Amino acid sequence: MTAVVVEDLYMTYRAPIRGSGWKETLSSVFNRRYREVPAVQNVSFALAPGEVVGFIGPNGAGKTTTMKILSGLLHATSGHVRVLGYSPWQRRSDFLRRIAFIRGSQPVGGSQELTVLDTLQYQRLLYDVPPADYRRNLDELTELLDLKDLLQRQLRALSLGEKMRAGLALSLLYRPEVMFLDEPTLGLDVTGATTMRRFVAGYAERAGATVLLTSHYMADVASLCPRLVLIDKGKVQYDGQLDQLAAKLSPYKLLRLTAPNADEERLKEAGEVVEASNGTWVLRVPREEVARTTARLLTELEVADLAVEEAPLEAVIDRAYREGVG
Amino acid sequence: MSQLIALRIRMEVLEWSGAWWFLLTLVVQAVLGPLIGMFIWSAVYPADSYVATYYVALLLVTVMTESFEQHTFSEKIYDGTISHELLRPQPVVINTIGTNLAIRIWMAAMGIPVALLAGFAFGVSLTWTAVLSAVPAFVLGATLTFCWTFLLSLTAFWTERVHSIVGFGWTLNTLLGGTIAPLAFLPGPLRDIGQVLPFYGMLGLPADVAAGRVHGLAPVLTGLAYQAGWLTVIITCAVLLWRAGIRRYTVVGA
Repeated sequence: MTAVVVEDLYMTYRAPIRGSGWKETLSSVFNRRYREVPAVQNVSFALAPGEVVGFIGPNGAGKTTTMKILSGLLHATSGHVRVLGYSPWQRRSDFLRRIAFIRGSQPVGGSQELTVLDTLQYQRLLYDVPPADYRRNLDELTELLDLKDLLQRQLRALSLGEKMRAGLALSLLYRPEVMFLDEPTLGLDVTGATTMRRFVAGYAERAGATVLLTSHYMADVASLCPRLVLIDKGKVQYDGQLDQLAAKLSPYKLLRLTAPNADEERLKEAGEVVEASNGTWVLRVPREEVARTTARLLTELEVADLAVEEAPLEAVIDRAYREGVG
Repeated sequence: MSQLIALRIRMEVLEWSGAWWFLLTLVVQAVLGPLIGMFIWSAVYPADSYVATYYVALLLVTVMTESFEQHTFSEKIYDGTISHELLRPQPVVINTIGTNLAIRIWMAAMGIPVALLAGFAFGVSLTWTAVLSAVPAFVLGATLTFCWTFLLSLTAFWTERVHSIVGFGWTLNTLLGGTIAPLAFLPGPLRDIGQVLPFYGMLGLPADVAAGRVHGLAPVLTGLAYQAGWLTVIITCAVLLWRAGIRRYTVVGA
């Protein structure tokens, strides 16, 4: 049983082109020319019910296009897509009642003059949420998203972070089974982003919802998504566990140790010194040598503190974008 | 569906309450045409009480049936916010209808006093029987105006010049609908053609019936039949254009 199935998906945009100058401009009136822009090429993946998956890639990789196809906003050029057993592009009412597509750039649509509570009540009618469920869900969302002070305020008067919280409440009021989150922490401050992450993780766990998330913030991916689908130039470059990608692309780990009396030359023998300040050193050590090097450092030096860290996810993903997964 | 439309109207009435001054400017624009027509034709036919009665009725019909889908609908295509509505489990047109009716409620509330003032100033007396008998033609005319404007606004899927297109439609409506001149004052062949076209059904017919100009049941029924016929044609065209437009929107890029 799968919640989302994507097979051999292609999406090609047709963009008008024209040369510069008078002659080209006039000739384009009678002879329009177009260029085919492939946005998604041969993309395939599947999501199991309850799975939370990061869908990442550089700008223009095809993430949002794929999300729009999955939610029914775009009609794919070719390929097979099923979400909860439906063809998304048909946008059937019973399909739309079971999914949510939330965009960080436009978290809340519709009338901006209305209060959050008015909009939630409209949402209740629109999605046929029974009154008892509505009250229970609203109470829960109000508490989890700290909405109490927002309910009586107009949407247009909310800050971006508040709009995102209101947008989440509007989308989750009807308990969608599949959520497509496109840059949900875009523009949020640290507290807002943390609240959002905690909430999404909690919702996915409680409701058993399937979540596909795009984000340029690796903290979102690291904290929410055990599995990663990496896409670039419209093609899937990697589909697997996040930690396996990190191991594959970064054959090193970082040893962070505090040893005020350590000699730099001796540390260089243990690994590449990438950072040094006030007696704290960060060494880059091949994965297979971490245990041996750690034991050696603890024996030979007076170590006050030592921690073994993965390379920053940003560095791993950056390398994947630049050099490919291979 | 009716519950959703009712709720939408309520929401939109609330929303537009914050822009009453803007709605006032729309009312002023809407009443200008009928008022100018009334001044000109009253000067031409000073003894004919029909002119003032017709134009007061036309003023009422105009303010209560104005449609602005080139703003309320087409702009959503241009800025992409129609995507939000496409993802809701309801037909997109429900919101457009709700917005249209909410604006009309506000414009009627502001425009009726203007019509009463103009009627009082020109000594117009509309009879209740004539006004009531104009209700079916008014309802069909209001629906026709909405569908016509919505049909033209759908061209926003293909062009960014929707305002010019709707403006052209408005010009046709003003010329042939009975604002520039009552259809009764046009030369014979033009009058006959005007009665068949949809524009008279949008404005002139309800105003003529309310002014007591249309005598007997047969001409009223003929007018209603033309309205119903045009409504069928325009709705069919709108459905086809919507399907083509939404397919283009979802293929080219939402």
